[in-house]
Amino acid sequence: MKNILVLFFYVCFPVISFSQSISGKVFGKGEKGEKQPLPGVHIYWENTQNGVASNDTGNFEIKQKEGQHMLVFSFVGYTTKKLHVHGSAPLEVVLEPNLEIEEVTVVQKDRGTYMSKMDPVHTVRIGNAELHKAACCNLAESFETNPSVDVSYSDAVTGAKQIRLLGLDGIYSQLQTENMPNLRGLATNFGLTYVPGPWMESIQVSKGAASVVNGYESIAGQINVNYKKPDDQEKLFLNVFASAEGRKEFNGNTNMKVKGDTITTGLFVHASDLSKRNDHNNDGFIDEPLMQVVNVFNRWKYNNFKGFMAQAGIGFMNEDRLGGQMDFREDMERTVENPYGINIKTNRLEGFLKGGYVSPNGRTAVALLSNFAYHKTNSFYGLNDFDADETRFYANLVLTRDLDIYGKNTINSGVSFVNDHFNESLYSNPIARTEQVPGVFAEYTLKPNEQFTLMAGIRADFHNNFGTFVTPRMHMRYRFSENYTFRINAGKGYRTANVVSENIFLLANARPLLWSDDSFQEEAWNFGASFIQDYVLFDRDLQINAEYFYTRFQSQLVVDRETSAENIILSPLNGKSYAGSLQFDMRYQPVERLDVLLAYRINDIKQTIGGVLKEKPLTSRYKGLINLNYTTNLKKWMFDYTIQFNGGGRIPVVSSDAAIATGPEEFDPFTVMNAQITKYFRYWNIYVGSENLAGFKQKNPVTDAAHPYGEFFDATNVWGPVLGRRIYVGLRFHLNH
Amino acid sequence: MKKLILMALVIFLGATVNSTFAQKETKVVCFKSSMDCENCQKTLTEHLRFEKGVKDLKVDFNTNTIFLEYKTGKNNDEAIAKSIEKKGYKAEKISEDEYHALVDNQEVKKE
Repeated sequence: MKNILVLFFYVCFPVISFSQSISGKVFGKGEKGEKQPLPGVHIYWENTQNGVASNDTGNFEIKQKEGQHMLVFSFVGYTTKKLHVHGSAPLEVVLEPNLEIEEVTVVQKDRGTYMSKMDPVHTVRIGNAELHKAACCNLAESFETNPSVDVSYSDAVTGAKQIRLLGLDGIYSQLQTENMPNLRGLATNFGLTYVPGPWMESIQVSKGAASVVNGYESIAGQINVNYKKPDDQEKLFLNVFASAEGRKEFNGNTNMKVKGDTITTGLFVHASDLSKRNDHNNDGFIDEPLMQVVNVFNRWKYNNFKGFMAQAGIGFMNEDRLGGQMDFREDMERTVENPYGINIKTNRLEGFLKGGYVSPNGRTAVALLSNFAYHKTNSFYGLNDFDADETRFYANLVLTRDLDIYGKNTINSGVSFVNDHFNESLYSNPIARTEQVPGVFAEYTLKPNEQFTLMAGIRADFHNNFGTFVTPRMHMRYRFSENYTFRINAGKGYRTANVVSENIFLLANARPLLWSDDSFQEEAWNFGASFIQDYVLFDRDLQINAEYFYTRFQSQLVVDRETSAENIILSPLNGKSYAGSLQFDMRYQPVERLDVLLAYRINDIKQTIGGVLKEKPLTSRYKGLINLNYTTNLKKWMFDYTIQFNGGGRIPVVSSDAAIATGPEEFDPFTVMNAQITKYFRYWNIYVGSENLAGFKQKNPVTDAAHPYGEFFDATNVWGPVLGRRIYVGLRFHLNH
Repeated sequence: MKKLILMALVIFLGATVNSTFAQKETKVVCFKSSMDCENCQKTLTEHLRFEKGVKDLKVDFNTNTIFLEYKTGKNNDEAIAKSIEKKGYKAEKISEDEYHALVDNQEVKKE
């Protein structure tokens, strides 16, 4: 009976509600979970501009028109709440605090990857569910199921992994940890492997020039890693991993409440070891370098639940890599008589400090983000030594202010400072330099309604070597109906090319490096547009995304392996260089709990090398990806399968008549498959999987492997997998508070 | 290569079919509980989905209800109620009709 009454009321409701008002009171959860009236909360009907704000006692009254039934409560520092309003009874609404200033909260339920429709910047969020899909030993391996990011080895001996976003090398994507630039400079080549997978809570990948708040560096995009927070639910997490190739790994983290929820601390540990020498392709070279890594991190969080929050952390990492010929031993004298070897020893100390304050009315927020890193590398590649250290400090002070109570106009402004000192030494040439870059920025966000967002930012930086330069960037998002979201962006980006250190893996070849400037500034424009369509097909969401990004370089470091038979030439661009990337992807659930992702991307990357505009070598012309993910009801089992179709591309060959050791000029398309099965239990889960299931390998990744000291030796012409099929098994254990 | 793709597909389909048809005799039990936030819903879901024999589960904090289907040989109503109470929530047994009344009522309101 009551049901019918409600139903009746509901049916009649639009008619009688013409002049109806909804009133109520908004509360915020306080320190001990108690309710406190919350003034200044923006309350509006979804998809409209009709809004009011709650008064000093948290009370509000809002007119309700026909068809309006979703009421939205939004307030800085609190999670936005949507409510279905039925009837005219006064409402009591409690908002949950969300004090993660300057941090993107990951909205995710079952889907591992989430493409935001609200963010003006084209962003893909990779959450914990997605991170569980792959073995996920470190950041570099987290992108296997992601269509936007490519991961490849940069050479056949050091194990350095490269990512490509929009088909552009990883150096053009700004890497961040917790919204602070990190893993740059000397950490560029191996940085992705310094972030253990189990430490991560989520990853955000945004394409195109990012917000100016984080600096001038992002050109192709930005990859941000969020670590697990000390005040997470998770009390203890342990992970062990072993591969058939002899890689063993341990990860653990624990959270402790030092003083309730006010002061919390987390300790992270990682140790891994690979001591087994494998040579499956019988070229005499170790397939994957031997490696010992120890990595520890301790972080602290303070939250007074009255608007102030601070976090700090310090970590240390030690890594030892050994590659080269099977018979090489570290203590051998390095002469042409002995086997060829590569050794890279790295010590890295890093720390961060950040704090934020949100004013009681929630309209003003101040945040300080700072980090430092000391990085030291001692290495040799055959007979060549490379030693370097880097000391870096970064600070960014951001003031965010809502210009009106509805948060329709927001200004983000602030100042930043970078101090980066390098000492490098190659072929006994010492290279020392210091970069000092103070900067100012301002960014205006206009969000008149739920459909439209405009974000325009500009920054000026004052570089001690390259002078003053200006970085303008613009993003726009328009959702012209429930189903269609359109985005465009344009922006400039700069970065310092560390000519020697970021190409140091090229030493694994017979030709010496030849360069004129130790460092110079790269400069590029990026333009992008994307279109997301959402449909409901047979009661399930279907998302189709199409995007195009175009990057044009004004200044760039070009690696020329083709002009000279004597040297690899590292020189500034002289001519045109651009990269176009067209991508389509589709996400759907054809069967309940089976997520299907289909993606296809075409890369068009051209560079002027040695005076001729050519296709960038060692880059696939296209990439197709199919990812299937199935979980049983209640998620007790998870099956994951990914297949990547990589297009062919160009192999750089020296264009001289001495074409004796010159191989083919093209590589063929190839396919790589990964699969994993996870079984979940209450406190732990176990996973078994395989990378490169079909075992596809690039033939002869090392050119003239028999004569590593000869004039044709080259281990850097790598375009495909060096390792064959890898089988692994792992175990995760977790305990919540 | 083709074989491997096929193999992977078979594993997938196998898993799908398995979960759809391999059900034995099951029983449904419903409770009224005392959750007051979305976090409680999450905690209870995480807790209950790994109870012995659980086949289906719906925890909802809006209506404060729990719907649970389990294999009869593996568990019983009392043990499940105890398990809910152990986590600090009430577990007042209600009939399936009462459960549907509560949930449907909520759904009408929502629409």
